[in-house]
Amino acid sequence: SLPSGPSPEIFRRAKFDRPEATPALWQLLFRVLAPLPLDNPLASLAPEVQARLVKSALRSQGYPRLALAQLPEDGSQGSRELLLALSWLLARGPVPEQMLAQTRVPLGDEMTVCQCEALASPGPPAPQVRAEDPVDVRYVQWLMGKLRFRWRQLVSSQQEQCTLLSKIHLYTSGCHGDQSLGHLSVAEAEMLRDPEGGQQLLRTLECENRRLEAVLTWRRTELVFWQWMDTVLDTCAPRAPAAASQGTFLPGIPEHRGGELELVAWELRALQEELQEAAECRRAAWEAKAGGCGRGPEWSAVRRASREAVEKELGALQRCWEQDRDPAQPHGPHRLVRREDGAAGDWDLRAAEVIRTLRSQEACLEAVLHQLQGQCRQGLARLAGALPGLIWIPPLGR
Amino acid sequence: MLPRDCSGRLVAELQGALDACAERQLQLEQSLRVCRRLLQAWEPTGTRASEPPPGPETNEEDPPPACTPSPQDLKELEFLTQALEKAVRVRRGITKAGETDKVPSPRSRSTVAPPGTIAFAPPQNPGRAGGRASDARPTKGPCQTTVPPKGHSERQLLSLGHKTRVGTGARAPRPGPGLRDQQMAPSAAPQAPKAFTLKEKGHLLRLPAAFRKVASQNASLWAQLSSMQTSDSTDATAAKTQFLQNMQTASGGSQPRLSAEEVEAETRRLWKACSLLRLRMREELSAAPTDWMQEYRCLLTLEGLQAMVGQCLHRLQELRAAVAEQPPRPCPVRRPPRASPSCGGGADPAWSPQLLVYSSTQELQTLAALRLRVAMLEQQIHLEKVLLEEEVGGLERRRTRR
Repeated sequence: SLPSGPSPEIFRRAKFDRPEATPALWQLLFRVLAPLPLDNPLASLAPEVQARLVKSALRSQGYPRLALAQLPEDGSQGSRELLLALSWLLARGPVPEQMLAQTRVPLGDEMTVCQCEALASPGPPAPQVRAEDPVDVRYVQWLMGKLRFRWRQLVSSQQEQCTLLSKIHLYTSGCHGDQSLGHLSVAEAEMLRDPEGGQQLLRTLECENRRLEAVLTWRRTELVFWQWMDTVLDTCAPRAPAAASQGTFLPGIPEHRGGELELVAWELRALQEELQEAAECRRAAWEAKAGGCGRGPEWSAVRRASREAVEKELGALQRCWEQDRDPAQPHGPHRLVRREDGAAGDWDLRAAEVIRTLRSQEACLEAVLHQLQGQCRQGLARLAGALPGLIWIPPLGR
Repeated sequence: MLPRDCSGRLVAELQGALDACAERQLQLEQSLRVCRRLLQAWEPTGTRASEPPPGPETNEEDPPPACTPSPQDLKELEFLTQALEKAVRVRRGITKAGETDKVPSPRSRSTVAPPGTIAFAPPQNPGRAGGRASDARPTKGPCQTTVPPKGHSERQLLSLGHKTRVGTGARAPRPGPGLRDQQMAPSAAPQAPKAFTLKEKGHLLRLPAAFRKVASQNASLWAQLSSMQTSDSTDATAAKTQFLQNMQTASGGSQPRLSAEEVEAETRRLWKACSLLRLRMREELSAAPTDWMQEYRCLLTLEGLQAMVGQCLHRLQELRAAVAEQPPRPCPVRRPPRASPSCGGGADPAWSPQLLVYSSTQELQTLAALRLRVAMLEQQIHLEKVLLEEEVGGLERRRTRR
């Protein structure tokens, strides 16, 4: 059976901004914006704190209505605004599917190839109070050494796990009912070894099936919801832009994000200088050389062809960074399957190909790191020159 | 000493990186524990000896097989026992020759031990006739010569074992075959008390039917969800877009302000642009054009790259202006974890995982190692950026202060 949630009555009351519907909607928004497993201590935060986190999350996603930020956090009023916020989230992305995907029961042995999750995970808590005492550079060096050691540990543990995984796949080959899979995964073998755990897995899986069915039902009938939400929007009094209050309630950009922009600016300007120099040099050389080539029709045709070719190439390059996601790169977790012949269907990934992709990624990243380390050294040298008494930190990295 | 402004953030980032590593390590170790346990001998659970436990089969969904075996079953079992007797005869011939520590200590296995287990006692796999035998026998020579004639009957044993559903035999002890087991047990005993290991008998496991049913239901539901996503109902999409627009106008905002997430995303994009452009520039500068056409192309490319950098800088100015409008606020203690990971939604969401096929342990290890290496490089780059940021910021601040 499905976990409990706000009843339809709550939604109806929220349309008319009834105060009693407010706490349930705060809670629902919190669970949507900060999906946590139920046993996580954060899940049982005080309602005011939850409300504050909800406001902050909506603000950082760019929620357009100012009224939300002005709502009291004690849950005494504002149900209609909360309903609008929820609908805004639902309209912008496939929220139910994403939530399901996050809590999905992994039946196979999975490996994620892309690094998207790493980016999406919350960063370290920014120091609320800057360190009053300057930090000893040796402490930083020690931390860096510790980090290197931890990575080495990870690598060796990972290698061991691969060996074990491979054995388990090999020993259970031919078992699986599903021919395309062929062998059991660790979860499936574990289920056979420990029947009680297996029961648990089965129950969780059944639960997931019920939720999947619910989401499918939602998708089939959601038009009704949007038509209703239009009426909710109509019941809101049209608001004049509250210009006066904009100052306090604008979504603010966290301080250090501004710093990153500065850094990119710095890098881009340096790049521009280099390119300018190189291009001007080449242009001068070209004009000198080709000036006497003549301006015949075939010459201009060749020039046009070259121009078009270069434009096309550079256009492709631009698309590389404009698209947030590389369509060629596989995303999300993949189920590992061992096959002696390595045969793979159309939709499957082959390890050899992924290895190739990763190697080229590695080369690219190494170049970027090298570049940054160079900049770092230059920057430090400049600092050292500008500020006497500053100790030069050895560059980061291996 | 590091400059004060620089150190705090760097230390925080380093500690965050250390925590992330530690978490990964914990997960790996947990997984390793499970894997190691699976590869050791499995503990017998209750009366279920070395047979794979049926588990969730013991629910009402599965109609329990009749307590009295069907004639089909009996026939199969008859066949089974005939083959067993033959195997025993052969085995007697071998074990008399060289019996060492495989002397049976015939624990009185309950009648529950299904015929399947004993049939599989000589761990022969049709596909690996010779190799396995030497694994489990103290004597090698004679065994291998006798393999071919046994091969066929044992293949049939295996297929019968599958059909009679090894697991279900356990629940309803059938007196008939059970008794035969008892007779067989002492002679075939060398193998019966042996614990179950994945290495030897892993390929004989079968997933319980109830689980298979639920799992296939699960896969089909996820597939339905994916197909529903791609063949999006245009009515619903139109309604949603309309709703968002209505909300925007109703809230009185003339132009949607840039959210923190969007600025972050744009900054990332600009970083990527910078590194790609730089790489391309290097390529062009290091290439030695052989003819004038190549030279011309090179020139055009460099000028094109220059123009693109200009565009990026322009975009950056716009971003800067948008950020500057808004008063900076201190970071929350912990950024609320994003409900929409960039991976999940997108062009082609296949909500259930695709397959990643590998062919050897070596390949899997290479793959995993590369993945870790890429993750580590990204982390290093991030830390390097932090250091640079603080430096650049510090430098600028000092310059403006003076």
